[in-house]
Amino acid sequence: MSAPPPVIELRGIEKKYLSGRFAVEALRGIDLRVDGGELVAIMGPSGSGKTTLMEILGCLLQPTGGKYLFKGQPIESIPPDGLARLRGEEIGFVFQSFNLLPRLSAAENVELPLTYRSVARRERRERAARALERVGLAARARHRPAELSGGERQRVAIARALVNTPSLILADEPTGNLDTQTGESVLELLFSLVRDGATVVMVTHDPRIGERAERLVTIRDGLIDGDGATGAAAPRRGAP
Amino acid sequence: MRLREAVREALRTLRVSWLRTVLTLFGIVWGTASVIFLLAWGIGVRDMIEGAYLRVGRNLVQVFAGQVGEDFTPAADRRTLWFTLDDVDVVRQRSRYASLVLPESHFFREVSYRQTATTLNVRGVTPEHVSLRGVRVAAGRPIRGDDLSHRRRVAVLGAEARRRLLGAHGGIGSIIRIGGQSFTVVGLLDDVGMQLWQDGPTRLDEQVWIPLTTLFLFGPRYGRDAEVVDNILLGLRDRRLRHEAEREVRAILAERLRVSLTDEEAIRTASPLASLEKLPLDQIDDLLFTLGVTTLAIGGVGILTMMLDAVQERRQEIGVRLAVGARRRDVLIQFFLETFVIAGAGGLLGAALGLAGCAALAAVAHGDLIPVPVVRWEIVAVALSVMSAVGFLSGLFPAWRASRVDPSVTLRAE
Ligand SMILES: Nc1ncnc2c1ncn2[C@@H]1O[C@H](COP(=O)(O)OP(=O)(O)O)[C@@H](O)[C@H]1O
Ligand SMILES: [Mg+2]
Repeated sequence: MSAPPPVIELRGIEKKYLSGRFAVEALRGIDLRVDGGELVAIMGPSGSGKTTLMEILGCLLQPTGGKYLFKGQPIESIPPDGLARLRGEEIGFVFQSFNLLPRLSAAENVELPLTYRSVARRERRERAARALERVGLAARARHRPAELSGGERQRVAIARALVNTPSLILADEPTGNLDTQTGESVLELLFSLVRDGATVVMVTHDPRIGERAERLVTIRDGLIDGDGATGAAAPRRGAP
Repeated sequence: MRLREAVREALRTLRVSWLRTVLTLFGIVWGTASVIFLLAWGIGVRDMIEGAYLRVGRNLVQVFAGQVGEDFTPAADRRTLWFTLDDVDVVRQRSRYASLVLPESHFFREVSYRQTATTLNVRGVTPEHVSLRGVRVAAGRPIRGDDLSHRRRVAVLGAEARRRLLGAHGGIGSIIRIGGQSFTVVGLLDDVGMQLWQDGPTRLDEQVWIPLTTLFLFGPRYGRDAEVVDNILLGLRDRRLRHEAEREVRAILAERLRVSLTDEEAIRTASPLASLEKLPLDQIDDLLFTLGVTTLAIGGVGILTMMLDAVQERRQEIGVRLAVGARRRDVLIQFFLETFVIAGAGGLLGAALGLAGCAALAAVAHGDLIPVPVVRWEIVAVALSVMSAVGFLSGLFPAWRASRVDPSVTLRAE
């Protein structure tokens, strides 16, 4: 009868990089809770620790202190294979630099997470086709990334993040490499995913984008500086 | 499924830079070809040398009598030993290791045909000599049992003896004179060719064969009886049991001739097999094998560096794979299989090249002087397994490196 656990619960997360003679304290005690269906924007100056935080949320990096519960389960108790499974099934990544594999077609790129989950070939094809349709690129399935525009590439990347219907989508400056107009359409796509029930945590540089998320978290020097509703009750369609 | 993807990725890796691919594959192709070619050639060398040693007789052991050695009298006074046909019979009855036990005696005599006269080695033989010597009768017939029982004056000529004596004219039916007595040529031996071992002063090609009993009619030789057997020739059942065979025949003859079993000078043995054992044939094989494997290993280093480059170039890809759910093991297997596919393709190509090389040399090389490569399937198996080992080893390190890539690269593009 209890409420489902939050998708993300961070308690005093710390990350210390040991590079050469210096230790860099990228995160110095982050407390954060993200519930299912939320859209959280993260902002902060360069070097404040946003990407480090995303890496920890995506289980690509182990924190050096604190506790991370993913859907109630402490991350440190999950063995490496379990973390790989978590990344494949529960988390979808959208990167600033798209990170499509240049030698695979759009459809094959979207299929990639499924190939590591031993999904039958047929089903892989179907699910990839559906995901591409969801991002409006069904017609470009057989194209290579090099044959697509920046906005289209990022939409393929979003389709790849979607294909396993993950509990969490992480986007690190997804519009950072796009012009304003294509950035807008990618953003609109992410917002529409939230409307459909997805949970999205997105790093952005652009205050106007941050404003449009229902919740904005600001980070400074590895600490949370502000966390609150923006007034944007839910992601809206339309101009900033 | 995964293998098919590995093959596809390997082909992609290869296609990215075809020049690099050609150079890299060249190493493994050439290495595998070398292993096959050198091993096959090694067998050819061994066959050629063994052939030249064993042409004197297949699995031959020659037994001859000397002087009593364990004796403190001056050498000239010691008892000189010789064998008789009875001794040969006893050895034949009692030897378990020899399938053939034949007597042979010989002398040098002037042999003439019409105007031509020359000194030749005349050997008194038995019908089984042809099979013990492994020589073919090119024309006519060999010395037969009834030739011996009738003490016929018939002769069979070696190829060289025939050329020297008969020239272009004579052949089967020619009458020759041996020590003044006339003999009919009833058979001609085939060319035997180069001999690296001979049991006496002449090669088979230079000899004149007559029935042993006819040779005895020429009277006593070297101050001994007439019916003296100079050599007992053994044809072994199994060449690996040469030591046992020699020990056995020495024991039998020592007992009959009443000499000490340990007397090294009384009863002597000699064999082309013993000379062959002293040749470094195994070392030659080892050397050729080492050369081939080294070439292959260098090819492996080429693949290793190419794959390390590929891993470096594809760090972003690896990071993406890890980020979307690949286990480190998946990445390891992927790169390992890719390397293995590349090595395997090179290996098969090399095997084909090596076999083609062997066939080509076999087509031009000819006979006694240039060894012909001998291909056995074991060689191909050895080459392909060495190639697999090289592919395996050169795949391990790049694959391990690939699996250690930090997935942060996906979020932190430089
Ligand atoms: N691998 C690393 N080794 C050492 N220091 C690092 C490493 N990655 C990031 N940092 C440092 O950690 C801090 C936070 O970096 P990052 O998370 O990339 O910030 P942001 O994404 O907000 O710009 C910076 O000072 C950065 O230099
Ligand atoms: Mg960053």
